[in-house]
Amino acid sequence: MIAAVLAGDVEAFSGLIRRYEDTCVRFAVRMLGSRVDADDALQSAFMRAFRSLRNCRDRDRFGGWLYQIVVNECRTYATRQRRRELRFTPATNVIERAVAPGSEPEEDGDVGGHIETALATLPAEQREAFLLKHVEELSYDEMAALTGLSVPALKMRVKRACDALRDLLEGVYNG
Amino acid sequence: MVENYDDSAMAKDAEFIDRIATPLRAPERVHPTFEHRLMEKVSAEGAALYPARESSIHGWLRNERIFRVNPLGALAVAAGIAAIIGVSGIAIGLRISARTSVAASGVAVQSASTAVPDTVQIVRFVFVDSGAKRVELVGDFNEWAKGSIVLRRSGAPGVWSASVPLSPGRHEYAFIINGSRWVADPLALKSSDDFGTESSVIRVGTSSKSAT
Repeated sequence: MIAAVLAGDVEAFSGLIRRYEDTCVRFAVRMLGSRVDADDALQSAFMRAFRSLRNCRDRDRFGGWLYQIVVNECRTYATRQRRRELRFTPATNVIERAVAPGSEPEEDGDVGGHIETALATLPAEQREAFLLKHVEELSYDEMAALTGLSVPALKMRVKRACDALRDLLEGVYNG
Repeated sequence: MVENYDDSAMAKDAEFIDRIATPLRAPERVHPTFEHRLMEKVSAEGAALYPARESSIHGWLRNERIFRVNPLGALAVAAGIAAIIGVSGIAIGLRISARTSVAASGVAVQSASTAVPDTVQIVRFVFVDSGAKRVELVGDFNEWAKGSIVLRRSGAPGVWSASVPLSPGRHEYAFIINGSRWVADPLALKSSDDFGTESSVIRVGTSSKSAT
């Protein structure tokens, strides 16, 4: 399909994207905490991939190459998002309200909401590492190949993310 | 100390992590217009980025030409074209033989094909999952489009199947269970990319055993 796109059959690009869309969408939504932002970031990432398709040298690794572009785009987007929030939202109030001790998840049935809110408070690099490791279930070697970071650095980020999530959610899960 | 953050230290947190990660692994969707908007942009930029390569014969055919033929010549040309169409029809009829291959999941994979490189074959895909409510087939042959090939329940409980005409060559495919879970065929040859997305591989008309 890559060869078809490069030869001018640009409609074939949709087939290339569909194979990996579900994984990319889930990562982007979790990373950015919003379907609207994920939509923007993915449009941008997929267009970036389309424009540089010639650079995908190893065609058997198109999925990893595309995912790398999506992860980078989401990282950039998350940084912009964070700047925006710092300008307009007192983030700490939101966190305290969302994960206040004693607010049982069963009472409001919104465990996912608590988790997503807690996840959103993590620094982008920790959130990204946590998602790649525990949600996308990549190995540390795969994460290193994807992000360009060392395995120890990634382990540290994941550990810090887990510690922070435990602190934020212990009220919800009673430790 | 980075060394402290090893897998064994993480193991004791496994239960807590699983409680957090499980709801986050649920599938997500973007707006239904997502692909349409993307492909509009792709089409707008595509012509400049990846101009269509024309073979010389294709280019020749696309150019407007004027042919002048006298009535007797036109009759001769028409008779010639009719003869060619007749012979081709016979040839195509011979080629599209009713051969059936089977790619299956959870049961033995079989193929009855013998190699005829330019023959379209009907391949029967079978998937076994008693818990499935809907099973779809996606692959490079349908541009990985969800919903275009939906397997039907076939007889025995939990057995789903669909027959698909495939051109000769190597094809990658996967099943989608209940609209979200991608599953490679456990008994077929696997193709895995560098972030663990697995597909299955079927070879049509390229060997005595077209599916492995």
